[in-house]
Amino acid sequence: MPVDDTVLMRRMVEGDEQALAAFYDRWNSLVHAVVLRILRHRDDVEDVVEEVFWQAWRQANRYVATRGSVQTWLLTIARSRALDRARATKRLREDPLEIESGDAVVQQVSEGDASTDAEFAERRVIVVAALADLPPEQREALEMGYYSGLSQSEIAERTGQPLGTIKTRMRLAMQKLKGRLQVLREDAR
Amino acid sequence: MTPMAHEEARDSLEALALDALDENERGVVLAHVSGCAICQQEVAALQATAAKLSYAVQPVPMPAPQRDRIRARLLGRVVADRKHAAEVNPSASSVILVPNHGTARHASRHWLESPASWIAMAASLVAAVSLATLYQVTVERDNIRRTYQYVTGRPSQVDSLRAALEDRDRLIANLTGPQVAVVTLTSEGVRAPSARMFWNQTVNAWTFVAHNLPAPKAGRTYQLWLVTAKDKISAGTFSPNASGDAVVRATYNLPKDALAAVAVTDEPSAGSAQPTTTPFIVGTSGTR
Repeated sequence: MPVDDTVLMRRMVEGDEQALAAFYDRWNSLVHAVVLRILRHRDDVEDVVEEVFWQAWRQANRYVATRGSVQTWLLTIARSRALDRARATKRLREDPLEIESGDAVVQQVSEGDASTDAEFAERRVIVVAALADLPPEQREALEMGYYSGLSQSEIAERTGQPLGTIKTRMRLAMQKLKGRLQVLREDAR
Repeated sequence: MTPMAHEEARDSLEALALDALDENERGVVLAHVSGCAICQQEVAALQATAAKLSYAVQPVPMPAPQRDRIRARLLGRVVADRKHAAEVNPSASSVILVPNHGTARHASRHWLESPASWIAMAASLVAAVSLATLYQVTVERDNIRRTYQYVTGRPSQVDSLRAALEDRDRLIANLTGPQVAVVTLTSEGVRAPSARMFWNQTVNAWTFVAHNLPAPKAGRTYQLWLVTAKDKISAGTFSPNASGDAVVRATYNLPKDALAAVAVTDEPSAGSAQPTTTPFIVGTSGTR
Protein backbone atom coordinates (compact mmCIF):
# COMPACT_ATOMS: atom_id res chain seq x y z
CA MET A 1 0.00 0.00 0.00
CA PRO A 2 1.52 3.35 -0.99
CA VAL A 3 2.64 5.71 1.73
CA ASP A 4 0.51 8.84 2.11
CA ASP A 5 1.95 12.08 0.83
CA THR A 6 1.65 13.61 4.27
CA VAL A 7 3.79 10.81 5.69
CA LEU A 8 6.37 11.37 2.98
CA MET A 9 6.30 15.08 3.71
CA ARG A 10 6.88 14.49 7.39
CA ARG A 11 9.81 12.22 6.62
CA MET A 12 11.21 14.83 4.27
CA VAL A 13 11.03 17.41 7.02
CA GLU A 14 13.02 14.99 9.16
CA GLY A 15 15.68 14.79 6.45
CA ASP A 16 14.88 11.35 5.04
CA GLU A 17 16.11 11.46 1.45
CA GLN A 18 14.42 8.13 0.70
CA ALA A 19 11.14 9.94 1.27
CA LEU A 20 12.20 12.51 -1.32
CA ALA A 21 13.00 9.68 -3.71
CA ALA A 22 9.58 8.12 -3.15
CA PHE A 23 7.88 11.52 -3.49
CA TYR A 24 9.72 12.13 -6.75
CA ASP A 25 8.87 8.68 -8.09
CA ARG A 26 5.21 9.28 -7.33
CA TRP A 27 4.81 12.74 -8.79
CA ASN A 28 7.51 13.33 -11.39
CA SER A 29 5.22 12.55 -14.33
CA LEU A 30 2.66 15.07 -13.18
CA VAL A 31 5.15 17.80 -12.36
CA HIS A 32 6.82 17.11 -15.70
CA ALA A 33 3.48 17.54 -17.44
CA VAL A 34 2.77 20.89 -15.77
CA VAL A 35 6.24 22.20 -16.52
CA LEU A 36 6.14 20.85 -20.05
CA ARG A 37 2.84 22.64 -20.58
CA ILE A 38 4.48 25.98 -19.83
CA LEU A 39 8.01 25.55 -21.15
CA ARG A 40 9.19 24.49 -24.54
CA HIS A 41 12.88 23.73 -24.27
CA ARG A 42 13.96 20.35 -22.92
CA ASP A 43 16.82 21.74 -20.86
CA ASP A 44 14.50 24.26 -19.23
CA VAL A 45 11.99 21.54 -18.44
CA GLU A 46 14.58 19.27 -16.88
CA ASP A 47 16.06 22.07 -14.78
CA VAL A 48 12.69 23.22 -13.53
CA VAL A 49 11.42 19.73 -12.67
CA GLU A 50 14.53 19.25 -10.56
CA GLU A 51 14.07 22.61 -8.88
CA VAL A 52 10.43 21.90 -8.09
CA PHE A 53 11.34 18.79 -6.13
CA TRP A 54 14.32 20.48 -4.56
CA GLN A 55 12.07 23.28 -3.35
CA ALA A 56 9.59 20.70 -2.04
CA TRP A 57 12.44 19.04 -0.13
CA ARG A 58 13.78 22.29 1.28
CA GLN A 59 10.39 23.76 2.11
CA ALA A 60 8.49 20.67 3.19
CA ASN A 61 8.24 22.20 6.65
CA ARG A 62 6.25 25.09 5.19
CA TYR A 63 3.49 22.88 3.89
CA VAL A 64 0.30 23.41 5.86
CA ALA A 65 -2.14 20.55 5.50
CA THR A 66 -5.18 22.63 6.34
CA ARG A 67 -4.55 24.87 3.34
CA GLY A 68 -4.80 22.11 0.78
CA SER A 69 -3.50 18.83 -0.46
CA VAL A 70 0.13 18.01 -1.01
CA GLN A 71 -0.61 17.58 -4.70
CA THR A 72 -2.02 21.06 -5.05
CA TRP A 73 0.91 22.49 -3.10
CA LEU A 74 3.39 20.71 -5.35
CA LEU A 75 1.61 21.69 -8.56
CA THR A 76 1.49 25.31 -7.44
CA ILE A 77 5.25 25.22 -6.97
CA ALA A 78 5.63 23.60 -10.38
CA ARG A 79 3.62 26.27 -12.13
CA SER A 80 5.37 29.11 -10.31
CA ARG A 81 8.86 27.82 -11.06
CA ALA A 82 7.98 27.14 -14.69
CA LEU A 83 6.55 30.62 -15.15
CA ASP A 84 9.61 32.14 -13.48
CA ARG A 85 11.79 30.35 -15.99
CA ALA A 86 9.52 31.23 -18.89
CA ARG A 87 9.51 34.90 -17.98
CA ALA A 88 13.26 34.93 -17.48
CA THR A 89 13.97 33.32 -20.81
CA LYS A 90 10.97 34.63 -22.75
CA ARG A 91 10.40 31.07 -23.90
CA LEU A 92 6.78 30.24 -23.43
CA ARG A 93 4.68 27.60 -25.02
CA GLU A 94 1.71 29.28 -26.53
CA ASP A 95 -0.13 26.41 -28.09
CA PRO A 96 -3.54 25.85 -26.53
CA LEU A 97 -4.17 23.12 -24.00
CA GLU A 98 -5.93 20.20 -25.57
CA ILE A 99 -8.91 19.78 -23.34
CA GLU A 100 -10.21 16.27 -23.40
CA SER A 101 -13.81 15.38 -22.89
CA GLY A 102 -14.88 14.19 -19.49
CA ASP A 103 -15.63 10.77 -21.00
CA ALA A 104 -12.09 10.44 -22.29
CA VAL A 105 -10.66 11.16 -18.87
CA VAL A 106 -13.05 8.75 -17.22
CA GLN A 107 -11.90 6.10 -19.69
CA GLN A 108 -8.27 6.75 -18.77
CA VAL A 109 -9.05 6.52 -15.11
CA SER A 110 -10.90 3.26 -15.49
CA GLU A 111 -7.90 1.85 -17.33
CA GLY A 112 -5.67 2.89 -14.48
CA ASP A 113 -2.68 5.16 -14.42
CA ALA A 114 0.30 3.76 -12.61
CA SER A 115 2.01 7.11 -12.36
CA THR A 116 -0.63 8.73 -10.20
CA ASP A 117 -3.46 7.48 -8.06
CA ALA A 118 -7.20 7.23 -8.02
CA GLU A 119 -7.68 10.41 -6.01
CA PHE A 120 -5.67 12.44 -8.46
CA ALA A 121 -7.53 10.90 -11.34
CA GLU A 122 -10.83 11.76 -9.72
CA ARG A 123 -9.78 15.36 -9.33
CA ARG A 124 -8.64 15.42 -12.90
CA VAL A 125 -12.01 14.23 -14.16
CA ILE A 126 -13.74 17.07 -12.35
CA VAL A 127 -11.33 19.80 -13.48
CA VAL A 128 -11.28 18.65 -17.09
CA ALA A 129 -15.04 18.47 -17.17
CA ALA A 130 -15.33 21.97 -15.71
CA LEU A 131 -12.90 23.38 -18.26
CA ALA A 132 -14.65 21.57 -21.09
CA ASP A 133 -17.90 23.24 -20.13
CA LEU A 134 -16.49 26.74 -20.49
CA PRO A 135 -17.23 28.66 -23.68
CA PRO A 136 -14.13 28.36 -25.91
CA GLU A 137 -13.30 32.06 -25.76
CA GLN A 138 -13.39 32.06 -21.96
CA ARG A 139 -11.25 28.93 -21.78
CA GLU A 140 -8.75 30.47 -24.16
CA ALA A 141 -8.34 33.58 -21.99
CA LEU A 142 -8.00 31.45 -18.90
CA GLU A 143 -5.42 29.14 -20.42
CA MET A 144 -3.32 31.97 -21.77
CA GLY A 145 -3.23 33.50 -18.33
CA TYR A 146 -2.78 30.34 -16.29
CA TYR A 147 -0.55 28.16 -18.43
CA SER A 148 1.32 30.75 -20.41
CA GLY A 149 1.68 33.40 -17.73
CA LEU A 150 0.45 36.18 -20.02
CA SER A 151 -1.09 39.30 -18.59
CA GLN A 152 -4.54 40.39 -19.67
CA SER A 153 -3.15 43.13 -21.88
CA GLU A 154 -0.76 40.66 -23.50
CA ILE A 155 -3.65 38.30 -24.13
CA ALA A 156 -5.68 41.14 -25.63
CA GLU A 157 -2.79 42.03 -27.90
CA ARG A 158 -2.27 38.48 -29.07
CA THR A 159 -5.91 37.68 -29.63
CA GLY A 160 -6.81 41.05 -31.09
CA GLN A 161 -9.64 41.41 -28.62
CA PRO A 162 -10.35 44.53 -26.55
CA LEU A 163 -8.78 44.46 -23.08
CA GLY A 164 -12.19 44.82 -21.46
CA THR A 165 -13.40 41.75 -23.32
CA ILE A 166 -10.47 39.68 -22.09
CA LYS A 167 -11.07 40.85 -18.52
CA THR A 168 -14.70 39.88 -18.72
CA ARG A 169 -13.96 36.45 -20.20
CA MET A 170 -11.35 35.70 -17.59
CA ARG A 171 -13.60 36.84 -14.76
CA LEU A 172 -16.56 34.79 -15.96
CA ALA A 173 -14.39 31.73 -16.47
CA MET A 174 -12.92 31.90 -12.99
CA GLN A 175 -16.28 32.43 -11.33
CA LYS A 176 -17.73 29.41 -13.11
CA LEU A 177 -14.74 27.28 -12.16
CA LYS A 178 -14.86 28.44 -8.58
CA GLY A 179 -18.38 27.08 -8.31
CA ARG A 180 -17.66 23.86 -10.15
CA LEU A 181 -14.43 23.04 -8.34
CA GLN A 182 -15.77 23.55 -4.85
CA VAL A 183 -16.65 19.89 -4.86
CA LEU A 184 -12.97 19.02 -4.80
CA ARG A 185 -11.87 18.14 -1.33
CA GLU A 186 -8.56 19.68 -0.50
CA ASP A 187 -7.84 17.76 2.64
CA ALA A 188 -4.33 16.51 3.02
CA ARG A 189 -4.02 12.85 2.24
CA MET B 1 -0.82 55.63 -6.57
CA THR B 2 -4.52 56.36 -6.86
CA PRO B 3 -6.64 54.17 -4.56
CA MET B 4 -8.94 51.78 -6.33
CA ALA B 5 -12.65 51.59 -5.50
CA HIS B 6 -13.91 48.31 -4.09
CA GLU B 7 -16.11 47.52 -7.09
CA GLU B 8 -13.27 48.17 -9.50
CA ALA B 9 -10.84 46.07 -7.50
CA ARG B 10 -13.40 43.32 -7.18
CA ASP B 11 -13.50 42.96 -10.96
CA SER B 12 -9.76 42.33 -11.04
CA LEU B 13 -9.51 39.66 -8.36
CA GLU B 14 -9.85 36.76 -10.80
CA ALA B 15 -6.92 38.06 -12.82
CA LEU B 16 -4.98 38.68 -9.62
CA ALA B 17 -5.49 35.06 -8.59
CA LEU B 18 -4.22 33.93 -11.99
CA ASP B 19 -1.27 36.32 -11.76
CA ALA B 20 -2.48 37.84 -15.03
CA LEU B 21 -2.54 41.53 -14.11
CA ASP B 22 -0.06 43.99 -15.50
CA GLU B 23 2.46 45.08 -12.94
CA ASN B 24 1.07 48.54 -12.32
CA GLU B 25 -2.50 47.35 -12.05
CA ARG B 26 -1.41 44.52 -9.78
CA GLY B 27 0.09 47.02 -7.37
CA VAL B 28 -3.09 49.09 -7.24
CA VAL B 29 -5.31 46.05 -6.75
CA LEU B 30 -3.06 44.63 -4.06
CA ALA B 31 -3.11 47.96 -2.25
CA HIS B 32 -6.88 47.72 -2.03
CA VAL B 33 -6.93 44.03 -1.13
CA SER B 34 -4.48 44.54 1.70
CA GLY B 35 -7.08 46.63 3.49
CA CYS B 36 -10.26 44.86 2.42
CA ALA B 37 -11.29 41.71 4.26
CA ILE B 38 -13.99 40.91 1.70
CA CYS B 39 -11.52 40.98 -1.18
CA GLN B 40 -8.95 39.02 0.80
CA GLN B 41 -11.46 36.24 1.32
CA GLU B 42 -12.43 36.24 -2.34
CA VAL B 43 -8.82 36.20 -3.51
CA ALA B 44 -8.10 33.22 -1.27
CA ALA B 45 -11.02 31.33 -2.79
CA LEU B 46 -9.98 32.23 -6.32
CA GLN B 47 -6.37 31.25 -5.68
CA ALA B 48 -7.55 27.89 -4.40
CA THR B 49 -9.53 27.51 -7.62
CA ALA B 50 -6.56 28.50 -9.76
CA ALA B 51 -4.32 26.02 -7.95
CA LYS B 52 -6.60 23.18 -9.02
CA LEU B 53 -6.28 23.97 -12.72
CA SER B 54 -3.04 22.02 -12.95
CA TYR B 55 -5.06 18.85 -12.48
CA ALA B 56 -6.25 19.26 -16.04
CA VAL B 57 -2.85 18.32 -17.34
CA GLN B 58 -2.38 14.70 -18.30
CA PRO B 59 0.69 13.25 -16.58
CA VAL B 60 3.55 12.87 -19.03
CA PRO B 61 6.18 10.30 -18.07
CA MET B 62 9.70 11.52 -18.63
CA PRO B 63 12.12 9.47 -20.70
CA ALA B 64 13.80 7.08 -18.30
CA PRO B 65 17.31 8.56 -18.66
CA GLN B 66 16.00 12.05 -17.94
CA ARG B 67 13.88 10.86 -15.05
CA ASP B 68 16.77 8.94 -13.51
CA ARG B 69 19.20 11.80 -14.09
CA ILE B 70 17.03 14.25 -12.18
CA ARG B 71 16.49 11.72 -9.39
CA ALA B 72 20.21 11.14 -9.03
CA ARG B 73 20.94 14.87 -9.01
CA LEU B 74 18.32 15.50 -6.35
CA LEU B 75 19.71 12.84 -4.04
CA GLY B 76 23.22 14.08 -4.76
CA ARG B 77 22.19 17.58 -3.75
CA VAL B 78 20.78 16.27 -0.51
CA VAL B 79 24.08 14.58 0.32
CA ALA B 80 26.12 17.63 -0.69
CA ASP B 81 23.83 19.93 1.25
CA ARG B 82 24.10 17.76 4.33
CA LYS B 83 27.88 17.59 4.03
CA HIS B 84 28.11 21.34 3.63
CA ALA B 85 25.89 21.92 6.65
CA ALA B 86 28.00 19.53 8.73
CA GLU B 87 31.18 21.34 7.76
CA VAL B 88 29.90 24.82 8.36
CA ASN B 89 27.68 24.22 11.33
CA PRO B 90 28.25 20.90 13.05
CA SER B 91 25.12 19.64 14.70
CA ALA B 92 24.85 18.67 18.30
CA SER B 93 23.91 15.14 17.47
CA SER B 94 26.98 14.54 15.35
CA VAL B 95 29.61 15.45 17.85
CA ILE B 96 32.00 13.15 19.59
CA LEU B 97 35.48 13.86 20.87
CA VAL B 98 37.88 13.66 23.68
CA PRO B 99 41.10 15.61 23.78
CA ASN B 100 44.27 14.28 25.30
CA HIS B 101 46.16 17.35 26.32
CA GLY B 102 47.91 18.62 29.33
CA THR B 103 45.29 21.12 30.27
CA ALA B 104 42.70 18.47 30.79
CA ARG B 105 45.11 16.13 32.52
CA HIS B 106 46.62 18.56 34.96
CA ALA B 107 44.02 21.11 35.80
CA SER B 108 42.16 20.64 39.01
CA ARG B 109 38.40 20.36 39.13
CA HIS B 110 38.25 23.70 40.87
CA TRP B 111 37.38 25.43 37.58
CA LEU B 112 34.10 23.55 37.49
CA GLU B 113 32.89 25.65 40.33
CA SER B 114 34.70 28.89 39.57
CA PRO B 115 34.72 30.65 36.20
CA ALA B 116 37.56 32.74 37.53
CA SER B 117 39.78 29.70 37.43
CA TRP B 118 39.01 29.25 33.72
CA ILE B 119 40.13 32.78 33.12
CA ALA B 120 43.34 32.33 35.06
CA MET B 121 44.11 29.15 33.16
CA ALA B 122 43.56 30.80 29.81
CA ALA B 123 45.78 33.69 30.67
CA SER B 124 48.67 31.31 31.26
CA LEU B 125 48.50 29.78 27.82
CA VAL B 126 49.82 31.10 24.55
CA ALA B 127 48.96 29.90 21.05
CA ALA B 128 48.49 31.34 17.62
CA VAL B 129 45.27 30.83 15.75
CA SER B 130 45.36 30.79 11.98
CA LEU B 131 42.91 32.88 10.06
CA ALA B 132 43.00 30.32 7.28
CA THR B 133 39.33 29.71 7.89
CA LEU B 134 38.50 33.30 7.06
CA TYR B 135 40.56 33.02 3.89
CA GLN B 136 38.81 29.77 3.01
CA VAL B 137 35.36 31.25 3.56
CA THR B 138 36.25 34.28 1.48
CA VAL B 139 37.48 32.07 -1.37
CA GLU B 140 34.30 29.99 -1.12
CA ARG B 141 32.21 33.14 -1.20
CA ASP B 142 34.02 34.42 -4.29
CA ASN B 143 33.64 31.08 -6.04
CA ILE B 144 29.94 31.03 -5.30
CA ARG B 145 29.59 34.60 -6.52
CA ARG B 146 31.27 33.74 -9.82
CA THR B 147 29.06 30.69 -10.21
CA TYR B 148 26.03 32.77 -9.34
CA GLN B 149 26.88 35.26 -12.06
CA TYR B 150 27.39 32.41 -14.49
CA VAL B 151 24.05 30.78 -13.83
CA THR B 152 21.85 33.85 -13.65
CA GLY B 153 20.38 32.64 -16.92
CA ARG B 154 19.57 29.34 -15.23
CA PRO B 155 17.16 30.37 -12.48
CA SER B 156 16.81 26.79 -11.31
CA GLN B 157 20.16 27.02 -9.58
CA VAL B 158 19.97 30.61 -8.49
CA ASP B 159 18.01 30.20 -5.28
CA SER B 160 20.37 27.71 -3.69
CA LEU B 161 23.43 29.66 -4.81
CA ARG B 162 22.00 32.90 -3.53
CA ALA B 163 21.35 31.28 -0.17
CA ALA B 164 24.89 29.92 -0.03
CA LEU B 165 26.31 33.31 -1.00
CA GLU B 166 24.29 35.11 1.64
CA ASP B 167 25.42 32.58 4.20
CA ARG B 168 29.08 33.19 3.36
CA ASP B 169 28.54 36.95 3.43
CA ARG B 170 26.97 36.68 6.87
CA LEU B 171 29.82 34.52 8.06
CA ILE B 172 32.42 36.96 6.77
CA ALA B 173 30.56 39.86 8.37
CA ASN B 174 30.49 37.97 11.64
CA LEU B 175 34.23 37.42 11.44
CA THR B 176 35.30 40.87 10.31
CA GLY B 177 32.58 43.39 11.15
CA PRO B 178 33.34 46.58 13.11
CA GLN B 179 31.43 45.36 16.15
CA VAL B 180 33.10 41.97 16.29
CA ALA B 181 34.89 41.07 19.51
CA VAL B 182 37.51 38.34 19.28
CA VAL B 183 38.45 35.85 21.95
CA THR B 184 41.52 33.69 21.40
CA LEU B 185 41.39 30.26 22.99
CA THR B 186 44.58 28.39 23.76
CA SER B 187 45.76 25.03 24.95
CA GLU B 188 48.96 23.03 25.57
CA GLY B 189 50.77 20.30 23.72
CA VAL B 190 53.01 19.72 20.72
CA ARG B 191 50.15 20.06 18.29
CA ALA B 192 47.82 21.89 20.57
CA PRO B 193 44.33 22.81 19.46
CA SER B 194 43.70 26.48 19.01
CA ALA B 195 40.60 28.51 18.36
CA ARG B 196 39.04 31.91 18.12
CA MET B 197 35.57 33.05 18.95
CA PHE B 198 34.20 35.93 16.87
CA TRP B 199 31.31 37.71 18.56
CA ASN B 200 29.38 40.04 16.26
CA GLN B 201 27.78 42.16 18.93
CA THR B 202 25.53 43.95 16.45
CA VAL B 203 23.50 40.83 15.74
CA ASN B 204 24.68 38.64 18.65
CA ALA B 205 26.18 36.13 16.24
CA TRP B 206 28.92 33.87 17.59
CA THR B 207 31.33 32.13 15.25
CA PHE B 208 33.80 29.70 16.77
CA VAL B 209 36.70 28.57 14.59
CA ALA B 210 39.06 25.86 15.83
CA HIS B 211 42.05 23.97 14.47
CA ASN B 212 44.08 20.90 15.41
CA LEU B 213 41.30 19.35 17.38
CA PRO B 214 41.90 15.69 18.13
CA ALA B 215 39.36 13.09 17.19
CA PRO B 216 36.89 12.45 20.00
CA LYS B 217 36.42 9.14 21.68
CA ALA B 218 33.29 7.13 21.05
CA GLY B 219 30.31 8.35 23.00
CA ARG B 220 31.84 11.74 23.73
CA THR B 221 31.51 15.18 22.17
CA TYR B 222 32.95 18.66 22.45
CA GLN B 223 30.84 21.35 24.02
CA LEU B 224 31.37 25.07 23.68
CA TRP B 225 30.67 27.37 26.65
CA LEU B 226 30.20 31.08 27.08
CA VAL B 227 31.37 31.89 30.58
CA THR B 228 30.09 34.86 32.54
CA ALA B 229 30.75 35.79 36.15
CA LYS B 230 27.73 33.76 37.21
CA ASP B 231 26.99 31.22 34.49
CA LYS B 232 28.43 28.80 32.01
CA ILE B 233 26.14 28.95 28.98
CA SER B 234 26.23 26.17 26.43
CA ALA B 235 26.77 27.36 22.85
CA GLY B 236 26.34 23.87 21.46
CA THR B 237 28.21 20.67 20.88
CA PHE B 238 30.33 19.93 17.84
CA SER B 239 32.85 17.65 16.20
CA PRO B 240 35.86 18.54 14.07
CA ASN B 241 36.31 17.39 10.50
CA ALA B 242 39.00 14.95 9.43
CA SER B 243 41.58 17.74 9.41
CA GLY B 244 40.80 18.68 12.99
CA ASP B 245 39.02 21.90 12.04
CA ALA B 246 35.61 22.98 13.27
CA VAL B 247 33.31 25.95 12.87
CA VAL B 248 30.39 26.47 15.23
CA ARG B 249 27.85 29.20 14.69
CA ALA B 250 25.35 30.31 17.28
CA THR B 251 23.15 33.25 18.15
CA TYR B 252 22.91 34.32 21.77
CA ASN B 253 22.08 37.67 23.28
CA LEU B 254 24.69 38.54 25.90
CA PRO B 255 25.42 41.99 27.36
CA LYS B 256 28.65 43.34 25.90
CA ASP B 257 30.50 43.38 29.21
CA ALA B 258 29.17 40.06 30.48
CA LEU B 259 31.51 37.64 28.73
CA ALA B 260 34.37 36.48 30.91
CA ALA B 261 35.70 33.55 28.89
CA VAL B 262 35.02 31.01 26.18
CA ALA B 263 35.85 27.37 26.77
CA VAL B 264 35.51 23.91 25.28
CA THR B 265 35.00 20.78 27.32
CA ASP B 266 34.71 17.10 26.62
CA GLU B 267 31.22 15.86 27.39
CA PRO B 268 28.96 12.85 26.82
CA SER B 269 27.63 12.71 23.26
CA ALA B 270 24.28 14.23 24.20
CA GLY B 271 26.00 17.24 25.72
CA SER B 272 25.69 18.44 29.30
CA ALA B 273 23.63 21.08 31.03
CA GLN B 274 26.78 22.23 32.82
CA PRO B 275 30.43 21.28 32.22
CA THR B 276 31.45 17.95 33.71
CA THR B 277 35.14 18.03 32.77
CA THR B 278 37.97 20.50 32.79
CA PRO B 279 38.11 22.63 29.64
CA PHE B 280 40.98 21.62 27.40
CA ILE B 281 40.90 24.89 25.48
CA VAL B 282 39.88 28.23 26.89
CA GLY B 283 40.20 31.95 26.23
CA THR B 284 39.37 35.08 28.16
CA SER B 285 37.31 37.94 26.87
CA GLY B 286 39.40 40.72 25.37
CA THR B 287 42.17 38.55 23.93
CA ARG B 288 42.74 39.17 20.24
